[in-house]
Amino acid sequence: MRWVAVGGFVLAAFLVAAVEWAARRTRRIPTLSDMAAVIMTHEVGKVPVGRVAIFGFWWWVGWHFLAR
Amino acid sequence: MDHPELAVPTTPAWTRPAVTLPLFGAFSLLGGFLPSFSLEANLYIFTLGAVMMRLGLGQRVPRRPAPTRLPRGLVWWLLPVGVFVLFEITAFANGSKESYPTLSLLADPLLDHYLPRALAYFGWLVGFWGLVRR
Repeated sequence: MRWVAVGGFVLAAFLVAAVEWAARRTRRIPTLSDMAAVIMTHEVGKVPVGRVAIFGFWWWVGWHFLAR
Repeated sequence: MDHPELAVPTTPAWTRPAVTLPLFGAFSLLGGFLPSFSLEANLYIFTLGAVMMRLGLGQRVPRRPAPTRLPRGLVWWLLPVGVFVLFEITAFANGSKESYPTLSLLADPLLDHYLPRALAYFGWLVGFWGLVRR
């Protein structure tokens, strides 16, 4: 069963690379960077909640894998 | 003879890849020495994240313009997200054991080694910087 899980995560990583590659070849699919940029434009009043949320998520990713 | 001034937006020299990439490389080589669950690693990640957050919320770093709307091909991203969520939730439901691990349980033994750990730091910093610039 361990190799099923490993295969699943490898498949997910492969699909991320494939969709990103397709997005860079055609303008019909947004890149990861474009999606993040659109989320980061979201503001509530003057508070850039989109930027705070995306930065907070990436900060957590670093902490989760490298510090905790 | 008059020379009209040109309003050409300039990028601060310290934000160029020739400066930032070696800097991130140095931070990554240092971070690779700090083991998981240590106070030093927690403080290091906290400090680096705080600096990136401050740069990203300020106006000193120029940003690339965001698209006004996203194309319908956005739904293709549900495919990798769906596969990842399926396997992660299944692992959680099974108690995230060695026989059926979550991604973080799989990554932990790899990140115990210096080189993969330093590379992970580098990827994290480059990704963070990419977000700061958007």
